[in-house]
Amino acid sequence: MKILSLFISPLLALIIGLLFLGISRKITAKIHWRCGPPVYQPLIDVIRSFSQKSISHGAFFDFGIILSLSSSVVLIYFLPVGDLYAMTSGGLIAFLYLMLLGPFGIALSSAASGNPNSSIGVSRKFLLALAYEVPLLLVLLTVMTHYNTISLVEIVNIQAGTGMAFSSWALVLPGIAYFLILPAVLGVRPFEIVSAPQEISSGPVAEFGGKHLAFYTLQHALQLFVGLALFVNIFLGGGTLFGLLNPIAGTVWATILGIIIFLVKMFIVLVIELFINAVYPRFRIEQAMRYLWKWPTLIAFVGLVIVAILN
Amino acid sequence: MDRNQISKWFKNPGKMANKYSFHVVYFCTGCGIIEIPPSITTRWDAERFGIIPVATPRQANLFLITGYVSTKTLKAIIRTYEQMPEPKYTVAFGSCPINGGMYYDSYNTITSLDKYIPVDGYIAGCMPRPEAIFIGVTHLWKLIDMDKADGYKRYRRDYKFYRANQEQLFKELGWPPLFKDASL
Repeated sequence: MKILSLFISPLLALIIGLLFLGISRKITAKIHWRCGPPVYQPLIDVIRSFSQKSISHGAFFDFGIILSLSSSVVLIYFLPVGDLYAMTSGGLIAFLYLMLLGPFGIALSSAASGNPNSSIGVSRKFLLALAYEVPLLLVLLTVMTHYNTISLVEIVNIQAGTGMAFSSWALVLPGIAYFLILPAVLGVRPFEIVSAPQEISSGPVAEFGGKHLAFYTLQHALQLFVGLALFVNIFLGGGTLFGLLNPIAGTVWATILGIIIFLVKMFIVLVIELFINAVYPRFRIEQAMRYLWKWPTLIAFVGLVIVAILN
Repeated sequence: MDRNQISKWFKNPGKMANKYSFHVVYFCTGCGIIEIPPSITTRWDAERFGIIPVATPRQANLFLITGYVSTKTLKAIIRTYEQMPEPKYTVAFGSCPINGGMYYDSYNTITSLDKYIPVDGYIAGCMPRPEAIFIGVTHLWKLIDMDKADGYKRYRRDYKFYRANQEQLFKELGWPPLFKDASL
C-alpha cells in the first residue's frame, strides 16, 4: 500500500490540482455570467506550453523551477489523503519547512532571469509569506498542543474517532483564523499581490515561457492541492465523515470512499474561496500585512491561550 | 471546432493545443484596443475558446496588433515579437497595419506592417467589430491546420529581408540580430 501510494499520491494531486484550476476558471466565468472555458483547459495550456520552445536564462533559471516542482511533489508525500499516505514521520514541522521551498525555487529562477518585475514579485511573495506565517504558526501550534502530537496522520486519526476538529469547541477559533488566511496561502484574489498581472506583469513568472511555464503551471496546481488539503486534514477531519465509513473500515472500498470524501471536502473549501476571489479587489502589500497581522493573528492567539489553559 | 475529437489530439497534440489555447499579447496601438475589452469579458467571452490575455510576451503565442503602427511603437513591436517563444502567430487588426489606412500619408506611421514582422492574418475594417475577431480566430485555426500560419518560420528563413527593412527605417536598431547566421 505504501509503495503504491508513492506513485499514486503525486499523480492524484497533479490531476486533481489541474482539474481544480479548470473548475475554478469555469466557476469564475459562471459568476461573471460567461460560458467559460472547458474544465480541461489548463491541461490544454500545459500541452501548449510543452510544445513551445522556451528561452532559458542560465543554469539557475532551469534549476530553480525544477527545485520548486520537486519540493512540491515531496510535500505531497507528507500529506495524508484519506488513507493514502506515504510517510508518517516528520509531521507538521517538516511540512512547514518544505512549504517555503516551493516559493524559494521560483525566487531562484526569477533572480536568474533578471527581470525587474520578477524581483518585485519575489519580494512581495516573501513579505506575504512573512505576514501569513505568523498566524499560520500560531494555528498549527494550537492544533499540535491540543492533540499532543506533531504528526499529521495522527491528527487525522484522532479526528476520525472524535469527529471534525471544527466540532470540538476549543479548535473553533484557530479554524476561523486559518480560514481567514487561506486566501493568502493559496494566493487568490484579495491576496493576489504576488502575481498581479496588471501591475507587475504576472510577477515572478514574467520571464517564464514554454516548458518553464508548463512546469510552473504544474507546480501551481500542486500548491493549490497542498493548501486546500492541509486545511481539510487539520480542521475538517481528512477523509472521514462522522464515522460514516467505520462499518467497512479496512477494506479497499473504505480507502476509495475516504479519498472521495476528502476530495469533496476540498472542493467545497475551493468553491468558498472562489466566491471570495470573484468579488474582492486586490490588497496592496502593506494593507495585506496589516490585515494578516491584526485579525487572524489575534483570533489565533486567543485560540492558543484557550487551548493552553485547557491542557 | 474539433476540440472534442480525441483522435486528433493523439495525432498531433502540439498543434491542437496551440489552436485551442491562444494566450494573447495585445499591443495597444491606436483605436483597436477599444474592441478588445468587450471581446474578452462578459459580452462576447473569448475565454470559451481558450483565448486569454497574458501580461508578458514570454507566455504568449498570439500577438494581436490593434491599430496603426507609428515608427516609435514599431521598435517595441519588433522586440516583443522576438521575445515570444515559437510557435507564435501574429494577427494585425484594422486596416491601418495593412496599408496605412487613414494614416496612409502620415510622416510617422508605417504603411505596411508585413515588411517588418511576418503577419499571419489580417482582420480588415475600420474598426472591425468583436465578431470579426472571432471569425479571424476561426480562420487562424484553419491556417494552423493547413500549416499555413508559418510566420515564425518565414521570420527565421527571411530574417535578412526583415532585418534590412528594420535597419533601413531606424538606422540604428540597438540590439544584435536575433539569428546569428543572418548578420548583415
